[in-house]
Formats: sequence, structure tokens, C-alpha cells
Amino acid sequence: MNRQGESGGVVRHLWARNLLIWAALLALLVLSLVAAYVPMGRMTTASGIIIAGVKSTLVVLLFMELASAKPLIRIAAISGLVFVIAMFALTFADVLARI
Amino acid sequence: MSDESALLREPWLDFGRQREAGKFGIWVFLASETLFFGALILTYTVCRIEHPDAFTAAGRETNIWYGTINTAVLLTSSLTMAMASQASEASARLRRLVLVCLMLTAMLGLAFIVIKGFEYKEDIDKQLVPGAGFALSQPGAQLFYGFYWLVTGVHAIHLSIGIALVSRLFWVLLRRQLPAKDNPEIEVTALYWHLVDIVWIFLYPLIYLPGRAS
Repeated sequence: MNRQGESGGVVRHLWARNLLIWAALLALLVLSLVAAYVPMGRMTTASGIIIAGVKSTLVVLLFMELASAKPLIRIAAISGLVFVIAMFALTFADVLARI
Repeated sequence: MSDESALLREPWLDFGRQREAGKFGIWVFLASETLFFGALILTYTVCRIEHPDAFTAAGRETNIWYGTINTAVLLTSSLTMAMASQASEASARLRRLVLVCLMLTAMLGLAFIVIKGFEYKEDIDKQLVPGAGFALSQPGAQLFYGFYWLVTGVHAIHLSIGIALVSRLFWVLLRRQLPAKDNPEIEVTALYWHLVDIVWIFLYPLIYLPGRAS
């Protein structure tokens, strides 16, 4: 009985934590949908991408538990991001100079 | 202890090291996937810089409701996948919760594919496939839809692989061929699933949101 109560507490904690993250993700989805209809020029496009960045940060840190991962795992995860940034930066250095 | 010995695989002598290696391996794979989808998104960005008006007009033709509902479906599947992974780590008594969450994840993944199928049907009916008879006059719009079909197709293939992996896990755990507690396969599959979700999180504003404010 005691053990059952213990696992019940664990389940409640897991649902509370993850439902909160899920609710934040859905709220951000609605926010990006609404912001897309507000004419703000380039900021309209930027808002969608910034909100996507915030959403993916929540997923990576909390659902994928990178926030509590060991340094080796963090390095592996960040390496992908570093190379993507290099790819974008080098390409834009050319493309944006031609406009 | 018996759970750990059932999950231990060669060449590892220690279960803790096996888990760490598996986790490290999948993160390296996910980093390579980030570059793969990053290259596609970079191509989209360069084309959009060159054809801003055509991309706005093309984005307006996509069905925002299918896109938004599918994003919500995928975010919810990430919730159930995270629950399955964390419940497997938390306690051996949560086997049923792990099973239910895995089943829900696979079903939500399938729901996404079905909704996408309806959307594809509508796109074909509206002649939004690049080539002869394409609906929009601007040449840049065909580039947008070239990207749309390629990237959503590749994403759907990734998601289908995820559904197959999650369904297999559900079946193996249901038949008690492997224990659910601390099973590294659940953790690794969950990480892959979340990446497929993140790819869609970025595709949503690029495909469905352009041209809505004008």
C-alpha cells in the first residue's frame, strides 16, 4: 500500500512536470499563429522563427533532458548546432553580399 | 539487477556504460540529422531571400489549419514520449504507464501522417505540385513547393521510422521480452522522436506562416 502511494506520487509529479511543458509549447504555438496575422513587416517572419527557437529549446532541455545531461552528451548535442551556425554564417556571408 | 543483465549487450561489461554509450551515439546521430535538415532549411532561406514575394504568395496557399493541428498533434506526441521515457527511469512499477504512453505516441504519430495525407490530397487538387499546370504564376513559388514536397516528405519518412520503432518497443515490452525499467531503447527512441518533433517545429513557421499578415 505504501509502495503504491509512493509510485502514485511519482506519477503525479511526472504528469505535472510534463503537462506544464506541453501547455507552454501549445501556448507558444497559438502565439506564433496569432503573430503571423499581425502586419509587422520583417518582424512577422522573425517572430515565427524566434518562437520556434523557444519551443525547440524547451523540448531539448526538458523533454530530451539535456539540462541535466552529462558534459559529453551536451558537447555531442551542441556540435550539431555549431556546424549548422557555421553553414548558415558562411553561406550568408556570400548571399547577403550579393543583394 | 536481473533487469540490467537482461538488457546488457556486448561488447559492454557494465550496464551504466552501455546506457551512456547509447545515449552519446544517438546524440551524435541527431547532430548529423540537424545538419541534414539544416542544409534543407538553408536552401529554403536563400531561395526566399531571392524571391520574397513569390514565397509569401506560395505560403498563403498552404492550409494553415492542417499545419497547426498537426503541430499540436506532434507536440502532444512528444509529451507522451517524454512520459514513457521518464516513467521507465522512475520505477519498475510504472510499466503500464510506459506501455500506455508508447501506444499513445505511436497513435499520435499515425494521426499526423493521416492528416498530412488529407493535406497532400488538397495540395494536389489545388495543382500545387511543381511542373506543368502549376497553380501560381511566380517562378519562385515553384521553388517554395519544391521545398515543401521534399522536406515534408523526408519528415514523414522520419516520422514513419519513429512510429515503427515505438510500435516495436510497445510490442516487445508488452510480451515482456525486455524489462521496461531503465530500458535504454526507450530513452534512445524518445530522443529520436523529439528530434523529428523539433524539425517540424521549425518547418511550421517556414511553410505555413508566410503571407498571412498581407
